Amino acid sequence: MDIKDRIKKVFVELLRVKPEELKEEARLYDSIGVDSTEMVEAVIALEKEFGVKLSQKEITKFSTLEEIEKVVSSRSA
Amino acid sequence: MKTIAVTGIGVVTPSGIGRRQFWANIKAGRSFVREITRFDASKYPSRIAGQIDDLDKYSHVSERLLKKIDAFSHMALVASELALQEAGIDIKKEDPERVGIFLGNAIGGWLYAETELRDLYIEGREGVSPYMASAWFPAAPQGQVSIYYGIKGFSKTVVADRAGSLMAVGYARKTLLKGKLDLILAGGMEAPVTPYALLCCNTYGGLCTENSDPAAAYRPFDKSRAGFVVGEGAAIMVMEELERAKDRGAALMGKITGYGTSCDGVDRINPDRSGRQLARAIKNALDEAGIAPEDIDYISLDGMADDVWDQSEAEAIKMVFGEQAGDVPVSCPKSMFGNLLGASGALDVIIALLAMEHSLIPPTLNLRDPDPAWLNYVKDKALERRVDKALVISRGRGGINSALVVEKA
Repeated sequence: MDIKDRIKKVFVELLRVKPEELKEEARLYDSIGVDSTEMVEAVIALEKEFGVKLSQKEITKFSTLEEIEKVVSSRSA
Repeated sequence: MKTIAVTGIGVVTPSGIGRRQFWANIKAGRSFVREITRFDASKYPSRIAGQIDDLDKYSHVSERLLKKIDAFSHMALVASELALQEAGIDIKKEDPERVGIFLGNAIGGWLYAETELRDLYIEGREGVSPYMASAWFPAAPQGQVSIYYGIKGFSKTVVADRAGSLMAVGYARKTLLKGKLDLILAGGMEAPVTPYALLCCNTYGGLCTENSDPAAAYRPFDKSRAGFVVGEGAAIMVMEELERAKDRGAALMGKITGYGTSCDGVDRINPDRSGRQLARAIKNALDEAGIAPEDIDYISLDGMADDVWDQSEAEAIKMVFGEQAGDVPVSCPKSMFGNLLGASGALDVIIALLAMEHSLIPPTLNLRDPDPAWLNYVKDKALERRVDKALVISRGRGGINSALVVEKA
């Protein structure tokens, strides 16, 4: 599974949303209506999934999947 | 003078979810007090309760939301939806700034809190869900229901031990009378059947520890009484001004016409033995309704199944009703499903409204040897009787007294 699919899986499992609701180019807030508390949980889950340290400031509810992928890739590299 | 009507009810109780199932069980006098099965309560002095096991079957709440909220918020969401559906209200069509929510709760959402605290001590800070902060506290259901429907008007959570929800209904009435809001969801919710919450209820000392025959354990106003049994659930009603309700063609369930409250101020736990302040709360409620004691057709008792509480309640009734105190039918329906603590008063209001609708007074269970003997108890079986006006009594630890008058619309 590539990084983007793994990120998607984190959100699908965490927020119980349907995979097709997560549109890659859309901001999370617009596609699945995340709130800030959900993002706290999501960032912790992403840290666990990829074994990296992430900041709540760089991954927010206004991030797109593509942007999150960039941050995660740069950190794991 | 404005009058406040109830136009929809939502019940989530051990005796059933939704009015049909609930009333069928109440009028049949069935007990829903059982041995606790949700967790291992075998070492608890009191390990019986009124539990709800089928909430998911009736729930409209998404899994995504469910993981952020405690059971007591879930119950409040389901009860609110049932009440709004029955009232025929679509909040989207109301002015959200003119809609409010008034709920009572005593202990908060402990199932969520306990799980997260366990994680805090085992996994550390990062093991705790970020929703913990907004899931456990007594006003959480108010917040969740208001977010769900987009309610934006003046709202309130009343924490006053077991009297909280009756007080919430009383305040809701006052707020509507002042014209501050058009519509209020009022009631309460409680979820005490969790390991820690039940432990606290146990250490408080008021619970019945006779576990061998759960249905016979809660015996309010019986000489052999040995404490109350907890129950979980939510009771929420839609309240609005009578003329508004008529204009929109709503079915009227009844009117809330008077409310009174007072404090005993004598002890950390127990009420004043004389019942004097409870009598004053009852008197104030009757005065506000503009009716005399002899107009009351039914009294819904608080019924703690404790000597001091039961006797002082009877004394208060005697003080207000005088020679007629032994005539008016009284009962304590919570003997069937347990004491819903901060949700108990609102549920008793709903039961009184249903009693009016069906001309049937629900029974008190386990009443063999009444004490005091002179009250006119409805026991074992429901009593067919027209009820036009009813008085509901709800009390809390430390001597919190509240009384509400409901009338046929």
